[in-house]
Amino acid sequence: MLSTNYKIAFVHLTSKVKQTIVAVLGVTFGISMYVFMNSFMGGVNDTQTTLAFTALAHIRIYNDGPADNTNLVKKVYGANTVANISNARIIQYTEGIKNTAEILDLVRKQPEVIGVAPQVNINVFFRNGGNKVNGTLSGVDVANENKLFGISTYMVSGSWDQLQYRPDGIIVGYDLAKDLSINVDDNINVLTPDAVSHNYKVIGIFQTNVKNTDKTKAYLNINSARQLMARNEDYVTDLQVNINNFEKTAPVVARLAPVIPYKVESWQMSNQQLEAGSQLRDIIANAVSFTILLVAGFGIYNILNMTINEKIREIAILKAMGFSSRDVTTIFLIQALTIGFIGGAIGLLFGFTVSDIVAHIPFKIGGLNYLPMGFHSRDYILGFLFGLVTTFVAGYLPARKASKIDPVEIIRG
Amino acid sequence: MSKDIALKANRINKFFYEPEEFQALKDVSFEVKKGEFLSLTGKSGSGKSTLLYILSTMDTDYDGELIINGEKLTGKSLNDLAEFRNSHIGFVFQFHYLLPEFSVLDNIMLPALKLKKKSSEEIEADAYQNLKLLGLPEQALKSASKLSGGQQQRVAIARALINSPSIIMGDEPTGNLDSKNTAIVFDIFRELARERGQTIITVTHDEDFARNSDRVIELSDGMVISGN
Repeated sequence: MLSTNYKIAFVHLTSKVKQTIVAVLGVTFGISMYVFMNSFMGGVNDTQTTLAFTALAHIRIYNDGPADNTNLVKKVYGANTVANISNARIIQYTEGIKNTAEILDLVRKQPEVIGVAPQVNINVFFRNGGNKVNGTLSGVDVANENKLFGISTYMVSGSWDQLQYRPDGIIVGYDLAKDLSINVDDNINVLTPDAVSHNYKVIGIFQTNVKNTDKTKAYLNINSARQLMARNEDYVTDLQVNINNFEKTAPVVARLAPVIPYKVESWQMSNQQLEAGSQLRDIIANAVSFTILLVAGFGIYNILNMTINEKIREIAILKAMGFSSRDVTTIFLIQALTIGFIGGAIGLLFGFTVSDIVAHIPFKIGGLNYLPMGFHSRDYILGFLFGLVTTFVAGYLPARKASKIDPVEIIRG
Repeated sequence: MSKDIALKANRINKFFYEPEEFQALKDVSFEVKKGEFLSLTGKSGSGKSTLLYILSTMDTDYDGELIINGEKLTGKSLNDLAEFRNSHIGFVFQFHYLLPEFSVLDNIMLPALKLKKKSSEEIEADAYQNLKLLGLPEQALKSASKLSGGQQQRVAIARALINSPSIIMGDEPTGNLDSKNTAIVFDIFRELARERGQTIITVTHDEDFARNSDRVIELSDGMVISGN
């Protein structure tokens, strides 16, 4: 039976080729826009993520300092006691992370973890003669740091690996170097909060294109940093952890937080604006493409409705000859889905073409060369499915109307 | 009910409610024998067309009982009735109602393709045979909209015959035809009834047509007044 219904549907589609083409184009446009918008937004999100993770690990473990001790009296005597404390001083608290080896061991055992980089971060002044710039000096485990953040790919001069063998070497950010008017092989002076001053030799310059990093950051070998701070071999301030899927930090954090006596923080917790930005872009992309698909759906609905009004007598005679309501529904659904299928397939191709063209438009800001574009099969599969669903719904309503036609009413006039 | 009864209508009543309540058929009962050529006549508004559409199973909104070939059809679902029409009833209307985008051959084949009792090669052979019977074999591959009115009506008859239905129903099948074509259509019906034993029930205004059929049932104001 199906083949006869197909035949009738096919004749309907081909007898009004122009109408059919318009309907197909509607779907094509909707789906190609869906694919393009989502690829574009996906590309932007990917770029954002890459940029963000040049300086940011998925999970950071650090000592977030002592609790709020502005009113110690309250802790002992309760709220009803009047306390007058002025010039409270914190005498001593533990800085940084101790028993690092144990924690490192524990973290490395987690199946999701793909890399851990210990850091000794110090807020310092970088000085070159009269020039002073406030910034962060990062003492890093050279190999692991590169594994997590891929710093070596951002080097503009010198080589990242040299840091491993040069206790006197320092690698500085591009803008920091400019601000201090220094170059590779020049000397730079570092002043710590504990008033220790030390000279290092610039052995490399990096540029991540995240201005904040390039302007304030410099890298040192982790052992040199410990030496500068007069700390032991185990001392670190931060443990940076990367896991296999950066979206799925929550379970790892939930597992580690109770057993590690320090702050365990995912990138989502510390950078909610990034997460918000990426989700908002997704919402915009979906809203735009759904609107277009909706318009395309209305187009199909209209065209099928017109077809049914034109062919109302033929439908009546088909029913008189013994075609059931289900056959009539099938005939019109086949038409709608054919339009959806062809429009969808062309739409995917067209969407890919447009995405590919846009991905070659130059865009030279913030380290980008071209407009960012993500090519994910998920966008294409979903686009096609949405197209089919839209055409199915748009086709089903008129098809049902056609199936309910009473042949007696039409034939008797 | 004996075996040679093709159709039995039992106390059929039909009401219209728009624009006001009106009884179109009043206790209509009759039987039609197999192979009988029956004409339904009456003035316009007498209810003859209304009766035909009830007999055709397309109109299900009536009181009473309809039995065709021993099968009670009153109260069946629309889809079951569609299936029944497909294999047991052939239709010829005042207008041909061919599908204009299909060829003559495709138009004739459609009900058989729907029935799916035979392969499409067999159906095509049957369709050619019907066209030959109706004198139109050379028009087979033309588009249905390219034929003359009389030819189109004959194609419609060929279509009605494709599943070898036991009953052929006509709603003024010659209403739009000139006397020459009317004669052709009448002869075809005559032959079908006599040689193939198919039952013919037609509504007609044409007195000659009615007089020459086996039996005439005349309706007036929804009641059978003669021929029963």
